[in-house]
Amino acid sequence: MTGAGPATAPVPLLSSITARSTRHLQKGEDMAVLTAARTRRRLAPYLFVAPFVAVFLAFSVYPLFFTARLSFTNWRGSGAAEWVGWDNYLYLLGNPGFWSSIGNSAVLWLLIIPAQLVIALLAAVLLDNAKLKLRSVYRVAFVVPFVTPLVAIAQIWVVVFDQDYGAVNGLLGLVGVPDVGWLTTSEWAKPTLALLFVWKTTGFIVLILLSGLQSIDANVYEAAGLDGAGRIRQLWSITVPLLRRTIMFAVVLQTLAVFQMFAEPFVVTQGGPYGSTTTAGYYLYNHITRADLGTGAANSFLLVILVMVLSLAFVRLLRAKD
Amino acid sequence: MTASTLTVPGTDDADSVPRDDTAASGGSPRRPRRSRPAITSHVFLALLLVGFLAPVVWALLSAFKPANDIISSPLAFDPSRFTLDNYIAMFEDVPIASGFLNTGIVLVFKGAITLFFAPLAAYAFAKYEFIGKNLIFGAVLVTLMLPTIVLIIPLLLEMKQFGWVNTYQALILPGSVDAFAIFWMRQVIAAVPDELLDAARVDGCGEFGIFWRVVLPVIRPGLAGLAVLTIMNIYNDFVWPVVAASSDRMATLQVVLSTLAQNITGNRIGADYATVTGELLAASSIALIPLLVLFIALQRHFINGILAGSVKG
Repeated sequence: MTGAGPATAPVPLLSSITARSTRHLQKGEDMAVLTAARTRRRLAPYLFVAPFVAVFLAFSVYPLFFTARLSFTNWRGSGAAEWVGWDNYLYLLGNPGFWSSIGNSAVLWLLIIPAQLVIALLAAVLLDNAKLKLRSVYRVAFVVPFVTPLVAIAQIWVVVFDQDYGAVNGLLGLVGVPDVGWLTTSEWAKPTLALLFVWKTTGFIVLILLSGLQSIDANVYEAAGLDGAGRIRQLWSITVPLLRRTIMFAVVLQTLAVFQMFAEPFVVTQGGPYGSTTTAGYYLYNHITRADLGTGAANSFLLVILVMVLSLAFVRLLRAKD
Repeated sequence: MTASTLTVPGTDDADSVPRDDTAASGGSPRRPRRSRPAITSHVFLALLLVGFLAPVVWALLSAFKPANDIISSPLAFDPSRFTLDNYIAMFEDVPIASGFLNTGIVLVFKGAITLFFAPLAAYAFAKYEFIGKNLIFGAVLVTLMLPTIVLIIPLLLEMKQFGWVNTYQALILPGSVDAFAIFWMRQVIAAVPDELLDAARVDGCGEFGIFWRVVLPVIRPGLAGLAVLTIMNIYNDFVWPVVAASSDRMATLQVVLSTLAQNITGNRIGADYATVTGELLAASSIALIPLLVLFIALQRHFINGILAGSVKG
């Protein structure tokens, strides 16, 4: 695991081999063998990439061009497709349903990202301390949600947050809080889904931030410590600025994930109640179930554009601060 | 993903990923960072730990409770009343066994295909010159930036054209040898010294022999990371299977699970709520366990894989 293996091994091996190979070259007949080897060496990479290229063309490149074409037609999965120009895009852009799905995702983003970043940053900074007891126990425990299957967890969410029989309302009932309709009211469904997302992915963000923290020089902290900077000051004025790029990386990743969020609403709320959890990703799926494929294709491109613009905006923001 | 412009943790080479506690104390001169952590730190971390583990532990334990107890007293755990009834009912009502079987088949084939052909192609990208190399690799990078959602509709239509809807091919081939695996393995293989390959070459090793006998053994740590990441992704994959192969016969474990949840939230017709809840927790538990065990056994490879995998948008 330390990576030292490959670098040290070849040295003795190499010298003995080169000695042998120069002896080989003195014989003429070996030249033919060498040319054959050279030809093989030229052809080999084509064979090596061929299986990947086949899969890549069939299941990535071709579908991508297909979506692009489809988005300009009104094809419903069978029969003849009619070219409709930009109609699908215009239909979506003028459709309140489309905008409310974007809006729902944006609200989820606001509920998720800031809270998650604060929790993950605090956890990562604390876990970065080598003297911390139970450090690896914490780290493993935090990553457990990330490796568990989302569908299983989403189902547990359904049970735990049930209005009448759920453990959460049971717990709150102990301190006298009346039952909350976590998944059945439009005010609470989004926060409940957001909590699921935060629960599931925060450990992942902790890992990313931890790997960023590894690159910060301890001397910076020592200097700050001498200047009498407190813990919180240190975190805010040293760690966060130095970790800026890693934090931004995490934000971009999570933005992509939040706007594509599909499985969570699919399993937990089916986009409801009253469409309050119809995320951008779930709205796109609705076109598929209605066989409205042209609109679905256009929707997916609009989503790609949105996500790319957001990512670029974050990168710009980062550049501006540099 | 905007990999080029942002710090991408853990992809520089396969092994640098998270320096572990042992590596930190043993090897590199790591800073003795700050003082002993205060009580408040432990309180914060412990609260997080409880929060992160509670739903899983609750589900694992509750699955053993009589179905009626789960809903009447969700917070009480009385080991003397523990029973396997939920598991038994679940195995009778839900095709969970065939879900496991389907997931297992997909895992074996898709995993093997990816773990063999991705490093092979990556080896060509890292160590050979050939016509179209930059074009193809550029396309790989573009695909990394695209949300997977874009491909769902055309892929589904393609499956229909091939007559592959509700088949193993549909579950196995799309998404195998994925662009990310190529991207990652290329970086890992690029770090293998050329001298090593040349030495094998003059030693009479064929081009494939070099890959098989030199490259693969040397990149074993990176390969292990890719293996666990691939297993995790295939096992947990849901969106594509539910779209492409949701028939009872072909449903993977995750798809089987999702139909159970819909019984509860959608229409509570048929079975009563307590029974379905009991079955649902039993099914969720049994789906969680294989990955939990694998994760705890192979933590370090998992963390390597997850970090490297984070470049995938």
